Amino acid sequence: METLTTSPLIRDDEIFLRMNLAERIQHILLIVSFTLLVLTGLPLMFYELRLFKSVFSFENAFAFRGLLHRGAAVLLIVDIVWHTGHTVLTRRGRDNFRELMPRAKDARDAVSLFGYNVGLARWLYRKGILRGFFDRHPFWRFENPPEYGRYNFIEKLEYLSVAWGSLVMILSGFFMWNVELSLRIFPLWVHDIFVIAHGYEAMLAFLAIIIWHMYNVHLNPEVFPMSKVWLNGKITGHELKTLHPLEYRKILAERQQAQKAREDRSGAAR
Amino acid sequence: MISRGTLLRIVLTTAAVIAAAVPAFAGPSDDDCLACHGDSGLKTDQGRPLYVDSAALGASIHGEAGIGCVDCHADLKAFEDFPHAPKLKPVDCASCHEEASAAVRESIHGRPHDGDKPIIVQCKDCHGAHDIRPAKNMLSHTAAMNIPDTCLACHLERVQTKRGQGFAALYKESDHYRALALAGLSLSATCVSCHGGHSVHPVDDPQSRVSRLNIIRTCGTCHAGIEKDYLEGVHGKDYAKDILDVPVCTDCHSEHDIRSPENLGSGVYATKVAAVCSRCHDDERLARQYGLQTSRLKTFSASYHGTASKFGEVKVANCSSCHGHHGIRPSSDPLSSIHPANLATTCGACHPGAGENFSKGKIHVVSEKTENRWAYTVKIIYIVVIAGLISVFLAFIAADLYRRMRTRWRH
Repeated sequence: METLTTSPLIRDDEIFLRMNLAERIQHILLIVSFTLLVLTGLPLMFYELRLFKSVFSFENAFAFRGLLHRGAAVLLIVDIVWHTGHTVLTRRGRDNFRELMPRAKDARDAVSLFGYNVGLARWLYRKGILRGFFDRHPFWRFENPPEYGRYNFIEKLEYLSVAWGSLVMILSGFFMWNVELSLRIFPLWVHDIFVIAHGYEAMLAFLAIIIWHMYNVHLNPEVFPMSKVWLNGKITGHELKTLHPLEYRKILAERQQAQKAREDRSGAAR
Repeated sequence: MISRGTLLRIVLTTAAVIAAAVPAFAGPSDDDCLACHGDSGLKTDQGRPLYVDSAALGASIHGEAGIGCVDCHADLKAFEDFPHAPKLKPVDCASCHEEASAAVRESIHGRPHDGDKPIIVQCKDCHGAHDIRPAKNMLSHTAAMNIPDTCLACHLERVQTKRGQGFAALYKESDHYRALALAGLSLSATCVSCHGGHSVHPVDDPQSRVSRLNIIRTCGTCHAGIEKDYLEGVHGKDYAKDILDVPVCTDCHSEHDIRSPENLGSGVYATKVAAVCSRCHDDERLARQYGLQTSRLKTFSASYHGTASKFGEVKVANCSSCHGHHGIRPSSDPLSSIHPANLATTCGACHPGAGENFSKGKIHVVSEKTENRWAYTVKIIYIVVIAGLISVFLAFIAADLYRRMRTRWRH
């Protein structure tokens, strides 16, 4: 990998906007509704835990829990409608969405990041083991970490998981909210699938957020204690260069081109 | 002609009139006795009071019938000189009340208690001595209103039961007692309504009115409609066949502290019903013996009904909401509330407009392989995906931390 040297066209302390205000509010609404939904829904999966029983010990606690859960669900739906509008109707939203679409490169990136971190192939190659194979297929040596564009495979996976999860949860949740309607349309065994899917999808989402998202944006030593992007939406030129080198290069190329055009113009004028 | 019956009556009446009018013939008169015993300060050397309240005696059933002191204290008939011997023979009620006395002799009160010091209960312990009144009289020790205190005089502390001290006192927590004491309903069940009066037997004695053999009839004395429902249900039909493993009244409602199902303290309060039923319906031995399906509690608990119930929500369905209670019938019975044809009505009680879709599926088995293939498949897919994804996440995190640690070592 050629090391990116600092170009005068992108200063290290230059500020780039990674999340605009609308996107940050959408993210905060997602945090609020998701947290409420987990807190008021999880006790239904883990009804034996004494903790949940003591939390829900006051009068009408269970009915209140249900009310909060459905309120948070409405908030989530509003958030998703807003985000969908933002994605479809604004130029920025459409660009981001295009960048978020998964590509074959993302699978390669995942494999290569893992391989690079473990470093086994690199070690084997240095020891001269399987040298022929590694010479023919340098990808499998994992010499360098993958380079990402605006969104790496981790972020894409998270975004698409939220999209899929919300779809499943809203659909199944809607029919659980309206049992009578659901059973007017579906037989009981179909309704049972909604119940099962709602519970397990919730577990999946909860674990994914607690383990995967929390590591990547909080506990990861690179950003510990927390990446501030979700609050101020800002990313520096240096961060852009190290975390999103492909986007960095793209911006750099655009600026070089613009500079060249300016020089050409001024040359022609002279 | 005078019939033999009439002759007998004349003879007996004459004898009674003579006995009443000429007590001197048969020993000292009541006035003779009360000359000393009417003194409220009269005591033995040991300090035992010897006072007899003449008003209470006169108002008692014996006083009203003109029965004199010496009719009961029979050995006094022979005395001429007073004061009499300090120790008299105990009064023998059996000389008149033969049947009742025999019943008490046969009962637990007439026999030494198992393994305990022998405690023999005498008539006067329950009925009083000089102030005995008929049970209908509100002042009687054996009037319905007073029975609990009469029995608890011993059963609160002095008498140990197998169920521990204070077990009998739990009656005071019951709705039976509330009806008696608060609502003044003398028809409400007291100790004797269930245990009998003279012939009280321990619960494991088949003669006992509260043994499993007889409890249904005993409760049915008042709760006749419920007894009928019960005997028509699946439990009652087996009960009638002398299968004593089926639940009887007390298994669900408890014994002394029976409370209304609406009362939070009741064993059959909405949120506790599942635990009551699963005592048998999740029991491996009973399941094997009678071919019951187990895991009823587990599958109920996992449902929304069960979970909400665990959190104290009373509006959701419990076992009895769908299965009924006293007259529970199997789903194969067309009269059963869970017969497929009746499910729309049963579910419709809470879910208005419940249609036939409610019966297209099974309850208690949400995601078991054999019962709902699709739900089971969805569940398995989710478990595999969750386990797989989380493993991958953890592997990536571990690899990331490993690389960072190595980098730090090198520098």
